[in-house]
Parts: sequence; C-alpha cells; structure tokens
Amino acid sequence: MEKKTNTLLILALIVGLAFHGSAIFFTLESTYDALIHLFFADHYANSWFDPWEYRWYTGFTVQSYPPLVHQLIGILSYIGGLKFGMYTVALIAIILFITGAYRYTLLMTGSRRIAGYGAVMAVFSSTFVETLHIFGQLPSIMALSILLHSMTEIYLWIKTGKTRYFITSVTMLAVTVTSHHVTPIFGMVFFIAPLIGMAVMDASRERVNSYKELTFKVFWSTTLQHFWKIAKFGGSAIFLIVFCIFPYWYNSKRNPITQVAIPHGSRDNFLEITSSGLVFFIIPWGVFLFVLPYFFYRYFSKRYIFFGLSFALLTILGTGGTTPIPLMMLGETAFNILTLDRFTLWATIMALPIFAEFAYRMVEGDLKALIQSKFGGVYHRVLGGLIAGGMLFMVVFTMTLGYFRPSQPAKINMLPIVNFLGADSHDAWRYLPLGFGDQMAWLSAQTGAMTVDGNYHSARRLPELTTRAIERIENSKFRGVEGIGSLQQFLTVPEKYNLKYIFSNDKFYDPILYYCGWQRLQQLENGIMVWEKLNVAPIPQIMPKQDVPSIMKIMWGIIPLLTVLIAIFVNIQMIWVRLLKSRKVKEHSFMKLELPYNKFPSKLLTFSHWWALAMLICLGYGMFIFYVKNVTQLSPNNVVESYYDALDFKEFSRAHSYIDPKENIDIAQYMLGVSVTDGILSSYAKLDSLGIEIYDKTENSAKAKVATRWITPLENVFNNDYHELIKRKNKWYLKSSKVDNDIPPDQLFTANSTTYYNHGRRKITTQETYHEDVLKQPVLEILSAKLVKYKGQYSIIGELQNVDNTPADIVIKATLYNDNNKELASYNAKHQIKHKLMPKETTTFKINFEGIAWSSTKDTLPPTFDPDQFTPVSFEEQPTKFNLQSAGNTANTDLYKHVALQDLEYTEQGFNGVLFNSGVQEVTIPQLIISYYDEDSQLLWVDHKFVTEGVRIQRKQFFNYKPLELDSLEIISSSLENCFVNGLPNKAIANKIFPNRKVIHEKKQTQPFKGKGYEYLKFEINSYIGNPK
Amino acid sequence: MRIKILIILSLILLGCSSKKEEQPKQFIYPKIELVANVNNSVAGDAVAVSFKTDTSIKDLKLQVKNAYGNVVLSPEHSENELMVFKIPKNFTRIAGPCRWKLILKGHTLRYGKFDIATNAYKATYVESYFGPRSVTAGYNDYSMLTISPTDAYDNPLDNGTEVTVKHQFQENIDELKITTESFFAFYNVRSTLQSGRILVSSECNGTNSKELATIVYPSNATDFSISSSSAHNFADGNQIITFTSDIIRDEFGNTVTNGTLVTFIIKNENDSYLYTIGTTINGIAEAKTLHPDKASKWEIQAFVTGAAESNTTEFAFKPAIKDYPVHFSKGNRNIDIGPFESFMKQLIPDGLLLQLDIYDADGVFVASKKTTTKNGVCSIFLGEHYLAEGDYILKLNAAGITKEFTKNIHGDTIK
Repeated sequence: MEKKTNTLLILALIVGLAFHGSAIFFTLESTYDALIHLFFADHYANSWFDPWEYRWYTGFTVQSYPPLVHQLIGILSYIGGLKFGMYTVALIAIILFITGAYRYTLLMTGSRRIAGYGAVMAVFSSTFVETLHIFGQLPSIMALSILLHSMTEIYLWIKTGKTRYFITSVTMLAVTVTSHHVTPIFGMVFFIAPLIGMAVMDASRERVNSYKELTFKVFWSTTLQHFWKIAKFGGSAIFLIVFCIFPYWYNSKRNPITQVAIPHGSRDNFLEITSSGLVFFIIPWGVFLFVLPYFFYRYFSKRYIFFGLSFALLTILGTGGTTPIPLMMLGETAFNILTLDRFTLWATIMALPIFAEFAYRMVEGDLKALIQSKFGGVYHRVLGGLIAGGMLFMVVFTMTLGYFRPSQPAKINMLPIVNFLGADSHDAWRYLPLGFGDQMAWLSAQTGAMTVDGNYHSARRLPELTTRAIERIENSKFRGVEGIGSLQQFLTVPEKYNLKYIFSNDKFYDPILYYCGWQRLQQLENGIMVWEKLNVAPIPQIMPKQDVPSIMKIMWGIIPLLTVLIAIFVNIQMIWVRLLKSRKVKEHSFMKLELPYNKFPSKLLTFSHWWALAMLICLGYGMFIFYVKNVTQLSPNNVVESYYDALDFKEFSRAHSYIDPKENIDIAQYMLGVSVTDGILSSYAKLDSLGIEIYDKTENSAKAKVATRWITPLENVFNNDYHELIKRKNKWYLKSSKVDNDIPPDQLFTANSTTYYNHGRRKITTQETYHEDVLKQPVLEILSAKLVKYKGQYSIIGELQNVDNTPADIVIKATLYNDNNKELASYNAKHQIKHKLMPKETTTFKINFEGIAWSSTKDTLPPTFDPDQFTPVSFEEQPTKFNLQSAGNTANTDLYKHVALQDLEYTEQGFNGVLFNSGVQEVTIPQLIISYYDEDSQLLWVDHKFVTEGVRIQRKQFFNYKPLELDSLEIISSSLENCFVNGLPNKAIANKIFPNRKVIHEKKQTQPFKGKGYEYLKFEINSYIGNPK
Repeated sequence: MRIKILIILSLILLGCSSKKEEQPKQFIYPKIELVANVNNSVAGDAVAVSFKTDTSIKDLKLQVKNAYGNVVLSPEHSENELMVFKIPKNFTRIAGPCRWKLILKGHTLRYGKFDIATNAYKATYVESYFGPRSVTAGYNDYSMLTISPTDAYDNPLDNGTEVTVKHQFQENIDELKITTESFFAFYNVRSTLQSGRILVSSECNGTNSKELATIVYPSNATDFSISSSSAHNFADGNQIITFTSDIIRDEFGNTVTNGTLVTFIIKNENDSYLYTIGTTINGIAEAKTLHPDKASKWEIQAFVTGAAESNTTEFAFKPAIKDYPVHFSKGNRNIDIGPFESFMKQLIPDGLLLQLDIYDADGVFVASKKTTTKNGVCSIFLGEHYLAEGDYILKLNAAGITKEFTKNIHGDTIK
C-alpha cells in the first residue's frame, strides 16, 4: 500500500499555524509568563556565559531556570530582535505540539486516521489555548511537545531494543530536560512510566493469543525480559536530567528556595473561589468534561491500564484544594511549591488520543452508527454539532478571556521610560515600577538599569522579599498586608537599595509615596508618573556577585543548544523520510494494534448521557447562583451590598439607581455630589470587607449599619455608616445621605505664594555636575530627640526645624545602641513627619523600628490585609542610646501649607476639629501629626491620623481625634549629643545659627490639655495633594 | 676538631643544595660617561640624557621615575658609542624631581636626578571653587574661595605665586593679593550685614577665573507686628478673615527670605489653640482662616518659631444670628428649622451646621443628627424606622444657640 500524506495532519498544521500563529501576536505579550522568558532571553543575548543577572532583585542567577527556550530566543534575537525570537520560538512550539500530539495519538491508537483527528483536536484543545495564550508558558509547551515526540521512540526502544531508538529517545529527552525541568521529572512518572508499562503489555500480548489469556504472570515474565532495556533507559534518563542542567541543581543546592509559599489559584478550593475553578479546571477541561466517562472506560482497559492510573491521578491532583486528596498525596511542601494547574494540563493532553478516538467513532465510526440507530440521524447531527460548537466556544472564550477580563494593565509604551533611565545617569540608581503587571519584565529587558523588584520569585534572595508571599512589589496592593508592608519598607529605607526612581502606573500608591517622603519628578509622555527620592547614593561601582565555577558556565552555555543540534542531527533522517515519504519504511509494531471499532458499548452511551446531564445541571446551578447573587434589590442586604459595590467600582450611575426614586435626586445632581468629594476613601481605597447589620426591619423599611473596611495604601480605614432603607414596588432602595451645603464666600480669589525651581544642571554636560551647580544642603536643627518605650515598643521621637532660608526635604535615620555601644537596629522616619519644610518650619517626628516583617512568624501570616500591621524589631538587648542622622536637601515641590486649624473642641468623643483650606490647591488627604508634651513642654509622644476626606479649596473638613493615654510611657534617653545634621554635629549648628533661640515659642503654640500623662498637645497638618496644579 | 666539624657541616650543607652552585661571574663595569647632565628643565621641554661609552654596549637601559610613574627606556640611537635616552613627554610634563638610573643587566651604572620646574610662562590656568553657595548675613558666616593656579600641563604653580582676588557686593569691588601655599591659595569672603549676592573672581599671571557667587541670606527674623482684617466682624461661618504681618526684618534690617514660615496662633474664648499659616513674600506674611459660626473672641499672635514673635491682636466676632424659629409637624417627626437670618436680616449663606441631639424622656442620649442649611433653612425628618414613638428631649444647636424641646413623637408617615 502506498503511504499517503495524512491530510488531517496537514490540515491541522495549516489551521494551527494560521490560527495560533496569528493570535499570539495579540495575546502572548499580555500573558503572565512570556515576558519573563523574554527578559531571560535578553540576558543570554547580552552575556551568554555569565549567569549572573544584576537587573533584578539586587542580583540573581539565571541558572535558576532551564535555559533552552531563553537561549533560543536570545540567539534568534540577533536576527530580528527579542520579540522576533519569542514569536519564532512560539511558532516552533505550536508545530511541535501539533505534530507531537499526532505522533502520540498514532502510538496510542495505531490508526493514522485517528492520529489525524488527534492533531486537529490538539489545535482546538482549550488547555493548549490557555497555556499558550493566557499563561504564555513557552518552555513548558516546548518540553511537553518534545516529550510527546520522544514517546514513540521510547516505546520502540523498549519493544524492539534497537540501539537506534535508544539514541533517538535519549536525544529528545535531553532537549526536554533543557527546556523545562519539571516536565521531564513528572513526565517520567506520569507519561513515560505508563508508556513503558504499555510497551511491556503489548509485548506480553504478542506472547498470548488474546487479552484474556494475558495474566499477571505473563506480564511479569515479560517485564523481567525487558528489565535491562527499561533500566538502561531509566538510568540514562536520570543521568540526562542531572547532567544536562547540572548547574541548575548545583544552584538549587547552594541557594535553596527560601521563599514562603505564594498563594496560587490552582491550590484554591474551586467550588469556593469560582474564578480559580474557571481558569484552572473548567477552561482546561472544556468539553472533555462531558466525555470523562469514555476516557475512564478506555484508559482502564487492559492495554492502557497504566495510562488509566496515571490519568486518574493527574485528574485528582489537578483539582487543587477542592478535595483534600492532592494535599495528602503531595505533602505540605510540594503542595505549596508546585502549581497544580500543570497536572490538569497533563491530564488533558493525556486524554487527547482518546478524545480523538471518540471523535473518530462519533464522526465516522461505530458510535455514529449506534446513535443513529438508537436516536436517529438528526440527533446525531445535533449532538455532533453541540460537541464541536462547545469546543469552539471554549476556544473562543479562552482566547478572549484576556480581552474581556484583562489580567494585565493596558500595554505601556516603554520608550519614554527607557529614555528617562538612559538620560542623565538615571540608571546609576535602582528603579521600581509600580502597577506594571508582567510588563515590568519587558521594561527590564530593554534597559540596563536595575530594579529591586523582579518577576521570578524563586530566584529572590533579599529577606524583605522572600519572607513575603508576594510575587512582586510592583503589584503589592493585590497582596494585602505583606504586599504593602514590603513596599513600605522599600519606600522608607530606599538608600539601603540605592532606590531613587519609581515609575507609577497606578495612582493607588501615590499617597504612600508622598508620605514616605518621595516627590513627583515629572509625568512621562506615556502617562507614567516618575517619583524620586532625594538623598540616595548611587549604586556602588562594584557590586556583590555570586560566582560559579567556569565549568558550570560552559556547561550552561553549551549543553542546551548542543542537545538541540544533536537531536536534529540524529533525527534528521527520520524526519526527512517521514515528511517526504522518500522511502518506504516498515510499519512500526504498534500500528498493528489498531482496534476494529465495530461495537460501541451501548451501556457506556447511556451512562455518558446521564453524566452529560449531570454536568449540565451543575453548570445550570452555577449560573443560577451567579444570577441570585447579582439580583441587586431583592432584600435590604442586597441593595446595600450592591450600592457599596457600585461605589467601590466608581459606577455612580448604578449607585444612583439604588437611591430612593421618591427623593427626586436626579442623576446629574447625584454625580455632582459624588464627584466633588475627594479623599483617601473616594480616590485611593479598595473596599475590603463589608459588614451589614439590618435592624428595625419592617415590611417596607429598615435601617442598616454598614461597617466597612477599606484598604488604602496608608492604613486600614474602618467606617461605620448608617443608612435608611425603604421598599417601593418590591424593590429596596437606600435613602440618600445628606450633602454638605457649605458654600465658600468668593467665586474668584487670589493667593500669592513663593514657588521654587531647581535647575538640576545648568550646564548641559555628560560629566558629573559642576561644583557651582551643587546646591548647599539646607541646614536643619534638631530641637529635641528622645528614645521612648510605649506599649512595649521602642521609638525615637523628636522635633526639628529647617533653620535655613530654602525649603528642605528631610531624611532622618535613627540607630539604636545598647550600653556596650552595640548597634541594635536602624530605621528611617516613615510618615510621622513632615518631609518637606519651608524655611523656619518645624516638624515633630517619630521613628519606629521595623523588623523584616513576618520573618519570625512565617506560619501565622495574617489572613487579610492590614497595611498598618507593624512588625517591631525584636530586641535581644535593651537599647539605651541612639544616634540620629538627619539630612536636608533643597526641596521645591509639595510645599503647600495653607490648611488651617479653624476650630477645635473637646467633647466626650474626643477632639472635634475643623480644618479649613485657605489656599488654591485641593488637599486630597490631610494628615494630622499630634504631639504630646509634659508640663515643661517637653515632647513625650507623637501620633498621627489621616483624615479620610479631603479638604476642598476655601472649604471646611471635620475631623475627630481621640487623645491617647500616655501614663505607661517611659523615656529611656533624652539627648541631643549624638544628633547630626548633614553629617555635622547638631550642637555646633544650633550655636551658630540659632544662638538666641526663644524656647518659649514651643510652649506658646501648644494646646493645654490635661490628659493622662501629659499636659499639652499640638496638632500639625501635612497635606497630600493628589493633583497639584 | 672544631675545624673538622665545620668542614663536615659545610659539606653537608653544600650537599643539601640541589641547585648547582652558581659561580659568581665577575661583572665588569664598563666605562661610561655622562655627556650632557640635565640639571634643570621646565615642564614640557624635551629632555634627553646621553652617555658616552668606549665600546658599544648592548642591553643598556635607563630607568626614569617621577610623579608620573616609572619607566625603563632603551637608547634612542647608539652610534659612535653615544647613547641618547629621550625621556617621554608624559614624564617631562610633570613638575617636580625626576630621578634616573642607568642599568646594565641589573647593575646600576650611574644615577642622577634633575628637577622639572612648572611652566608658568607658557600659560596659566586658574581653577577655583567657592562654597558654600549661600551664607547668612551677620558677623560669623563666610564662604571660602579656593584658587589653584596651574601651568599648561596642570602642574600647580610654585608656592608663593601671587593671586589676585576680587569680590563685589553692591557698589563695592574689593581687590586683594594673596599667595599660594601648598599649591593653592584661599580667601574667606565674609558675609555682609546686608543680604544680597557676592560675586568673586580671581586672577593669576594674567589669567582670570570664572565668576562665582554666594548669596547672603538675611539672618533670623526679629519681632514684628500683625493686624487682622475682614469684610465684617460677624460670626457667620462663611467670610474669610486675613491676618497680615508688617515687613518682617532681621536684626540688620534685611527683609527675611521669601517663603519664611509664620504661624498665626489663634486662641479662642474656649482656650482652644487654633492656627493658620502664612509664608512671607517681601517680608509680609499673610494667612487666612474662616470666621467662626458663633460669637467668639480671638487672640492672635504670630511666630517665626524660635526667632521672632508678634504682638497679640484681638478680634471679636459678633453673633450673626440672634435667633431662629423651629417648627414641628407630622407627629413631630418633621422638624423645620429656620429661616436663619443674619445681621442684616438676610438669609445666611448655605452651609451653616445644625446638630440635633436626641435624648429620651429620662435624659439618656439616643442619637445625633447633623445637617447644613440651604437657602437659609434646613429640615430633619425622624422616620418611624429611625425613632420609635415616644417622648423625647430634642436639643438643637446652631450658630452657638441651643434650643431644647420635649416632644411626643408619634404617627406613621410612610403610608
């Protein structure tokens, strides 16, 4: 028989390349992983043999990830750039996957026709679409595809024992190893072990006449016969896994992953967190779910029994946290390190041949005949259409998931950032992107500048990062307490990391940047705001590096591509022959095992129908639940929830629709009322939890107490709101809250103020800044400084003044010592200070000593978000002395001081005060810094409060502050001896600049108030302006 | 006996040595004459050291060492037994002592030294630094001008080189001569009593430096006086009152720097310390705040903290609202308050705060409601889902006027 070209395979290749090949240009760059691989590729393109990469995490080694795909992209990038390399590799992966699926199906079924179906199914399998177009896991796809290719060779080696097949199988396995490490390791267990089992089973079958005669005894003796072949292959495989990526194992040993487990959706309970269920279960399985009984039926036949076991195992492991079984099977450690979605991926790939077989039988085989005879031709066509339609729907749905529910921020034009970093030696400092998503890797790949962040968390070494369950600092707001906590440490002590620039693509972070003492530098053309921090030294010329022996570098640089070359060389003849049918080859033995497919079991068909029905009911129930949850005005609870949800997502017209229509507030009026309120809650907060308590409920009315918890970048905000609810025409509505009617006296008014501009460099030069362009550091004077202990926590408090004639940016760092002058801890002032001072302005400050959070409490991570969560340093010894280093730098921004304290009254609820904005800038978040003094006007304690609503121009804002009780406060040390300003002793400055200081002024500006442990209070105001004009 | 032991010992020692004993070759010092001895040279001039030998000798090297570094030279040409060593430019451009050594196979044949003088005649460059960039007016601050004159090859000129320093402040231009010591000259430009800008420059051997400047900032502020002004003195909670200082000066009469922060502390009749902030422009600080909404007496004092304070000024706010009517309806559930009439019987501007505190018949606090006026009036509705039927004490407070009512609240208003 003349062998014909398999038209279905050719069709699959053409459609696959056309469909996936064109779609990747729209999807790949917004996937989770693709850009990370691009960054690694850029590393290899620049320094092939040196594994050390400085640009992420203050340095890490790329030997922490198998290099083949990265090196391929890197080498191809010499032709047409990095992205060209990435797309080329992706196209190669698509071809390899489709052909791999073809060969795997051929091996399993022995039918070229069904194998053709397998190739077509591979193109449209939703699991492949998801892995490629949503996850972007190129190395994983590459490794898996080659593993599929190698399976035929392994089978033939076991079966025939011909050395030729041994060589082809190990060469392919080597390529798999160098592309991805997890795939071959687990592939050995889940794919190759059952494959060997099947090969032995086939060999046993040849020794007897029918499967019935194939007893365990026969199988066992055949196994013994093949033992040496299996052992030879197994030994070689293990050797390859160890040898080909030996530097990887060496590095894992040397830098064990200390990272705490980072939550991953694949470990969730899919029934509870339905979004994870969708992404990690429903999408990869797709229509396969309806055919599951057939898969199990077929895989638990004698020939496939080992595949059946493996398939069942993979299916169970892929369910993540839905059942306790995966956790029990994998153990705590493996469960928390592995992402379990890969098991589902393998299960669905494993099911492909059987699905192809099913499709074949459905389209042109015995199943068709059975259905037609049982239910008629129309039913068969409808059923076929439904399955095909379902498959197509899943593909389209998966493909467009990223479009309708973007997992990434909109594509950022990186060029302005790259130019900014390249200009004026900005790359002499580290930078930090915020709100970039996975695009940060693309930015890193384009610039030589370094960042403290990174996107490959397994390679992290900074304890500030490894102790947090966050992927990146860049998206810390999604990671709750650890996220913002980690970010705050980097923001407060940036000089430790030489971090000077922040690119903010998310205004959520703006307040915390401001209050940590950062200032806006400029907005780039692409809308990214650049923040900078003064007083940060550039990165030293010589940076620490963890070197590896040269032999490792050479192995790492040469072996991966060599494996590809060898594999091509070894297999070229075979590919040639197979592709062009240039010469007749003997059919492989497994081709004889094609089943006749003449009788589809009728019981299975019936069971499958019931199964499908059950699936449909589950699906319908899920949709019903979804609907009920989203009916907004069914009950008082629902309407309050919906109203807050609408406010949280700033859908004000929706929020308005929940307001009692009888109140006649039109939408325009409502929007106006909402749009003029600004502040931390309305502009920078994310609703975290909502506690609704309905009381006094009658038939048509109710009251609701709504306890809200908002996540803001600064701290948690707890709010209690009271609403009145009313029912009209079976729908519940909220009564509108009163609007403040206050109007300012003037329509137009004038204000004068001094503004500042700093040229930076007057002379345009690439050299270091000229001496005469270097500004003098503004002189500060520390007026008081104390080490105090309050509620078991040590703090440095004090007061300082800008005694110079130019505005100053303040950085203040305190170090604690014990009696033996041993350094115990050191930290900077975070937000309990005014970082920008006008000439002669004073500020009180407090420095808390923060440890690397949660390093000691790894197991008891707080379950929800709490940005104020503070980890005090645990002191082994008692601190008794301190050193205070303050530095002033000329400031020219954020100098708005026009918020007045207009009224203050003490009531039982604490201080009720009124702030008044007398200037021309809208204050988004006012902060009160409250200092406490004893009877001699000596500073005792500093506290702060963020007022949740902003102060608009010429308007008032009310605040309430409950004074503290300080009777337990203990002053440990009070001294100005070791206080330094710009490196000079404070005392000398005080004597020179303020020899006749009038200390009485302090007392004259404080509020007498008899509190527990103090006599005076002072309220200072620090204003954050969201949109400076 | 002793000699024997010594001989044996030395034999053993010789036997231990694995190396063959090298026979010290007799080194014959060739006869070499220095042809032209360079004693002194000027930076930048070509220098060659020549020797004459009786026979031509191979491998003759000259080692030269000075501030630039260390080099071994081969003779430029060695005809007629004349060896000429040309010292490279890099070496001859550096002023200071230059040592040389003539070497043959590790043996020093001759050595010498000559001095290279700075080449001030060719050209002089003046490098100057001035800092800090700003000083404070008065007697104890100064900026230092540091001048380092160099020759064309960046050699600092000799000690004692004369440098002219010029500095200008307002109409005065002073000039004085100083000399360099240890390669540089310096001069402390003392700050003046008046604020302004001091420009300096320097000159050496006819070369002038660039212009450098320091700014004399005013010294600390001295006591000043303030005044307050407003459109009227009624406590309407809406108008803005402005506090203004006179021109704040330092002890030398200079106007304080623009941007100096002045805190206006307001003490009201309840001993609450309020404040508002102004920054100076041309010495005058201006700060604003809002009128209170009830009659008050404010005492205002301003501070430049630590340095200066103002007089205390007073501002008395008269009540704008004398009284307001309250009307109950709908089973006393609806309370209409107002109209609020201001000092000319006009309706007060929108936004006056009104607070209602509700107590039950026994005087136990129940709830509190706040609202603001619009068009001179405001109303509060106590729906039955908000307040059950019963007797209540209602305390209204607006514009500092408190009114108390005891009412029975009843009725169903929803239907």
